[in-house]
Amino acid sequence: MGKQLFRYSEANKEGFLDSDNITFNDGSIVTPEEIWHYLTVEGPVKYPSAFEVNLYQGNRGSRDETLPTSLKTRYLGLTFSARMEKAKDNGKSIAFIQGGQAVDPYTAADTIALRPGLVNQWNNGLEYGNDINKENLRRKKSKEKAFHDMSFEACQTGGYEHVQAGNLRIDVIAPYTVLRCSDVSYGVEAHRHGPNKDVKLLNVDFPLRNQADKPWAIEYFAGNLRRLVHTLDEVTGRKTTEDDLLKAIKLHNEGRRLGTELAELWWSADIPPTNSDDRASLVSLGNLETHGDVQASLSVLKEARKFIAERVKNGVKGHAVTDNPKRLFILGSCVGINGSRSEDAGAIVVGRDDQWSHCSSLVEEEGDPYYNLAKTTLEYPYEQGIEKRAQWTIEQIRKSRADGVIFIHNWGCNTQAAISRPIVDIIKRETGIPTYIHERDLHGLRDEQEQNRVNAFIEML
Amino acid sequence: MTISGNYFAGVDVGSLAAKSVILKDGEIFATGLVQSGVNSVESGLNALNLALETAGLKKEDLTYIVGTGYGRVSAPYANKAVTEITCHAKGTNYLHPTVRTIIDMGGQDCKAIRIDPDGAVVDFAMNDKCAAGTGRFLEVMAGVFKVKLEDLGSIALSATDTVPMSSTCTVFAESETISLVARGEKPENILNGIHHSIANRIAGLFSRVGIESDVFFSGGVAKNSGMKTAIEQALKVSIVKPEIDPQLIGALGAAVIARNFAKKEGLWV
Ligand code: SF4
Repeated sequence: MGKQLFRYSEANKEGFLDSDNITFNDGSIVTPEEIWHYLTVEGPVKYPSAFEVNLYQGNRGSRDETLPTSLKTRYLGLTFSARMEKAKDNGKSIAFIQGGQAVDPYTAADTIALRPGLVNQWNNGLEYGNDINKENLRRKKSKEKAFHDMSFEACQTGGYEHVQAGNLRIDVIAPYTVLRCSDVSYGVEAHRHGPNKDVKLLNVDFPLRNQADKPWAIEYFAGNLRRLVHTLDEVTGRKTTEDDLLKAIKLHNEGRRLGTELAELWWSADIPPTNSDDRASLVSLGNLETHGDVQASLSVLKEARKFIAERVKNGVKGHAVTDNPKRLFILGSCVGINGSRSEDAGAIVVGRDDQWSHCSSLVEEEGDPYYNLAKTTLEYPYEQGIEKRAQWTIEQIRKSRADGVIFIHNWGCNTQAAISRPIVDIIKRETGIPTYIHERDLHGLRDEQEQNRVNAFIEML
Repeated sequence: MTISGNYFAGVDVGSLAAKSVILKDGEIFATGLVQSGVNSVESGLNALNLALETAGLKKEDLTYIVGTGYGRVSAPYANKAVTEITCHAKGTNYLHPTVRTIIDMGGQDCKAIRIDPDGAVVDFAMNDKCAAGTGRFLEVMAGVFKVKLEDLGSIALSATDTVPMSSTCTVFAESETISLVARGEKPENILNGIHHSIANRIAGLFSRVGIESDVFFSGGVAKNSGMKTAIEQALKVSIVKPEIDPQLIGALGAAVIARNFAKKEGLWV
């Protein structure tokens, strides 16, 4: 028997058609009419799992029908895989990145930069017609392959397994050797010995403990960024200038400013203007990298800023948010909690630390762009030592008026696992806010147990 | 408090057993305890039906049902689902209002729970990453020694010595136990060592949430007297004697919460 699918109501179509086009990097546009068609006709056939009405899994984000940008982020997500394939057909180069980096140098060098989650998303989207169950089984199979190719001990958000299997046309792998990510070493080793080791690999070296206050450390890292851009140029055959990087920094600063404004606007509201998933997908647009297309992200972000401002002004509550939900701030890398099930339990996610740290860090626009970018990257609050990172996190928790904090880390994410306890202890000591640490077990294979703990924490709040 | 003519049920579907408690007039009216099968809906219903049968009631007589435990999400017979952490807190508080700390050891995990005078959870920590400290682990150990699970504790208490056990991974502990037996160690001394090593790991959970008296031990493993003694020694506390089968505490808490929900929703005044 077919699964019940969510359908966008025709009643909201007219309002949606009044909204803006999405403009892409290559100058092409899609109109709201085309997006509506995709979300109501093409999308449900290709990706039934994304539309499946499923109480326990699935995602409620983008089902806020009167928030057009919510639908647009869904559109960008669903078309991601096809867009990456098209970009490759058109000769665009694509890099697989890891380790807390800004994508400004990639934008400058005309390369699409994809983090592990996006690499997986690209691969996931290559197969059509799956319901949630089939899709989960397929993803778990690919995890099994990763256990085989990398290590059972790694977090496996990697995506290296797809590169090795030749599933994805990735041109270069460029992790930053920042200490936050213990997976990098497994991935790099596996790649060096794998069947597809000809895919270019560049480790962008980070000074140990960042040392952003030391000019030598900034210079050293700036040198590594130059090396990175040079490597990207070798792949594309073009010559990226300092001016290209400066332009990219300005463009990304615009995204970061808008993303920050959007988050602060959201926090300023007494009534949450969106649900957890929509908040996350809109704020994360600020880094302009989530959909593999800087301009598309920017155009949706600009529009989202306008819609959220209206909602905040009119006291509109986001789709399926309960009255006076408990506000949760989520800490940790590459993983979050199930937004819709947490909403059902009476909570809402009001913030994350990881990518927000990058979004809220502007890069100086005057002077040597490599030096400026290196300095900001080394200063990312999320990548600092325990005390510094905890103090910055406390600031964000206060701004977001969170009632509770959950630190969640993947199995095999060794650095985050090690620092979770001291960070949470500092937060608890200084704010008195209840905290909870959770280790995601082998990639959510036990979703139910995880939600059980999260719900217990929400009940406790 | 009197609740004349109103019945509230809690159903706790765990990995090893499904439990049900029916409250009437503020008192425990009936209980049901069955082994869990692979179908958690069926297991929960079996436990509920057993309690209904004992009480001479029909499901329609119940004003409100709360489901808890791992099977709570698939409990179509329940009006609401609440996590077992909250339920153990409420159930314990209902019977023993002076308790502030709970150790809950069930079939597949163990928890350290701190509660306030109203039975609200203040903090909790859980071990669910390995089988140590779970009913399943003890079940395997009972199998190794070919003794009944319920006799494990009293055998351990008859020990004259404690043989330290370094593995609490079920698989490694099983082979370690076999080699200890081969070395000539007495079964009761090995079992004593097993109970103490589990108790020490549980003590680790309390380094996170702290301990405040009184202390209560709930869940199926709480029936094991050897484990109770080992925990008392590891935590340097004395554990409050349970008024009912400690395995029913979660279901009792769910029934208490069912009564609260019914009141809140105007189904019972
Ligand atoms: S979960 Fe941790 S180890 Fe894995 S990719 Fe993310 S930061 Fe790296």
